[in-house]
Amino acid sequence: MRSRDFLTLEETSRGELREVLDLARDVAAGRLSSPLAGKTVCLAFFETSTRTAVSFELAARRSGADVISLSEKGSAIAKGESLVDTVVTLDSLGADALVIRHPAAGAAKLAARHTRAAVVNAGDGCGQHPTQALLDLYALSEAFGGFDELAGRRVAIAGDVLRSRVARSVIPALRTAGMEVALVAPRTLLPMEAGVWDLPVLPSVDAALEWGSEVLYMLRLQNERMTGGSPRVPSVAEYAAYYGVARRHLRRGVWVMHPGPVNRGVEISGDVVLDGASLIPNQVAAGIAVRSAVLALATGVAQQVAA
Amino acid sequence: MKEHDGQSSELVIRHAHVLDPSTGLDAVKDVRISSGRISEFGDDLRGTRELDADGLHLFPGFVDVHAHWRTPGREDEETIESGSAAAAAGGFTGVVMMPNTDPVVDKPIVVSGLMRRIEQESRVRAYVSAALHVGLKGERLTEMQLLKEAGALCVSDDGLGTQSAGVLRNAMLYAHTAGLPVLLHCEDHTLATGVVHDGVAAALAGIPGSPASAEDAATATALVLATETGAKTHITHVSTALSAALVRFFEGRADVTADTTPHHLTLTDDLISTLDGAYRVNPPLRPEYDRDGVTEALRDGVLDFVATDHAPHASEEKELPLEEAAPGFLGHETAFAALHAQLVLKGKLSLTRLIEAMSFAPGRWVGEGGSLAVGSPADLVLADLSERWTVGRETLSSRSWNSPYLGQNLTGRVVGTIVGREIVHDLVKVSR
Repeated sequence: MRSRDFLTLEETSRGELREVLDLARDVAAGRLSSPLAGKTVCLAFFETSTRTAVSFELAARRSGADVISLSEKGSAIAKGESLVDTVVTLDSLGADALVIRHPAAGAAKLAARHTRAAVVNAGDGCGQHPTQALLDLYALSEAFGGFDELAGRRVAIAGDVLRSRVARSVIPALRTAGMEVALVAPRTLLPMEAGVWDLPVLPSVDAALEWGSEVLYMLRLQNERMTGGSPRVPSVAEYAAYYGVARRHLRRGVWVMHPGPVNRGVEISGDVVLDGASLIPNQVAAGIAVRSAVLALATGVAQQVAA
Repeated sequence: MKEHDGQSSELVIRHAHVLDPSTGLDAVKDVRISSGRISEFGDDLRGTRELDADGLHLFPGFVDVHAHWRTPGREDEETIESGSAAAAAGGFTGVVMMPNTDPVVDKPIVVSGLMRRIEQESRVRAYVSAALHVGLKGERLTEMQLLKEAGALCVSDDGLGTQSAGVLRNAMLYAHTAGLPVLLHCEDHTLATGVVHDGVAAALAGIPGSPASAEDAATATALVLATETGAKTHITHVSTALSAALVRFFEGRADVTADTTPHHLTLTDDLISTLDGAYRVNPPLRPEYDRDGVTEALRDGVLDFVATDHAPHASEEKELPLEEAAPGFLGHETAFAALHAQLVLKGKLSLTRLIEAMSFAPGRWVGEGGSLAVGSPADLVLADLSERWTVGRETLSSRSWNSPYLGQNLTGRVVGTIVGREIVHDLVKVSR
């Protein structure tokens, strides 16, 4: 079985999304035993990450893979080795899958040109973060009672769309799943040509609920967007008032999501993060099964196991 | 305040020459005002209270989108009470207060405090411009959405230009999101290093000049950014022919309006030869070439309206050598008379266009006022176009007297101003 890259979800079909989610459900149910036995998974993180790195590592180990973990600290990466050289080295060592996190968009695509291993993009710059969007779809499918139940429902993505790789994966993934997507952000946090997505831009979380949003997908507002030479938003108070979710927004049938880590009191008020309406713990939990499924599909073992 | 219409009565103004560019009315008519609104025009209207305005003109109330009422912080120079009295005396029924006060109007609580004080003290309709950046410093954005909720009409760092184009662009994007127009004082401080226009008069007088490019370069930047960001943008106190031409070029390409001031339309930089601090203003008085260019642009509608930049200063800040004096002129009380005398009577501007540029056009920008259409609030001005009067300290209602027209004879005078139900200025005994 040929290896398969997971670089972006922009061109991913509904069938392919369903395939990942179905396989992830099998993983979660324990129907696959050590699918990655004998495979080598390399984690190359050129940017600090805790939750994504841990999630991928657990997913790979529980699937029986050998795991090599390179991080920004204490490795060739820390010594300034270039992306391409690191990738070539790992390829030579016989890696079956490369999981790459990098601060620049396009890094995963570049890596894929220099290795026979399957490349899984674990987040590149403001580009793509496909496994995040897949685990979001998984958590949403569970919440609404199945992948097919997502079609026609409305979701609002709120916050720093301009600098969000999560948004660039989540937008196509949710739309492919049949959901109607709206953005909630000031113009300072949107691309100049945000119209390219052909999505409504709503002025506040309140407006998103009026619009009929059943899911409030909150993006992280990086601290440097509020400080520095020319901040993109005036204050936490104003940001939270218009683009944050608070207890008053919670109601039956509305779910709150966040890719983490959360800025409590900024995009989500502290008393909402762990409320029953929050899918945030479900998103994290879905990560392991979804990433196991992705690695299984990437390395080409999935069909054999399932067969 | 005197109410002109009690419960039982209304006011009929008879025989006034009504000129209302918003409706095209230009004829001697009687007008009935009831419940603070224009209710009827006719040829022989009678009422329980009548004012014979034979020989007077009746215009829509003027609207001034640029004024400094120095409150809070410098109430020795102007208060909401005195500023609004000056406005009423000049025929202004609506005024926008600039935010460069102490404290700066950069927090919602300051806006709501001002709104309450306006409600209590202002004789005319007054609107609050909040700051574009905290402390007018061109760094942190103000909480524009919360400022708007508190009642702000627009945002501006007036008095200062934003020095970084990147910072300005970001602020314009955010203002666009907040739904607030941005009012821009265009000045590049790296160019504006002098105190007067860098022209012949400055050279002869030995006073450091600021080149016209200080305004023109900043205006060009602002217009480009307005085009790109889509922000509703107003360029205030355009004073050069080139800046006016730039505005003309961007017409239809951006959501831009612009104004110029009575002093840039009527005075020139030859006044620098007096070496008198009274004539320091920012942007500075320009040569005739610029004055004529700006006048032509106002006539053509490229510059949408007149705004006074009413800027009271205490005498100790003005009775100084030019280089040490504070920049700024009083504006409300002399605007109509100066423009009527210097432009209309000299054939440079039609009376209709002048009235449009003082009432309808700025009223549209503010969102109310500037029209005598039936049903509109009865915000109106009675003027005697033939009255000759001398601007003197004793004629001014402002707490300050830094008018560049002090001692000048002007022809044409506002003799009565009504805002809704209230007579706010009354030289003709409307309230008799």
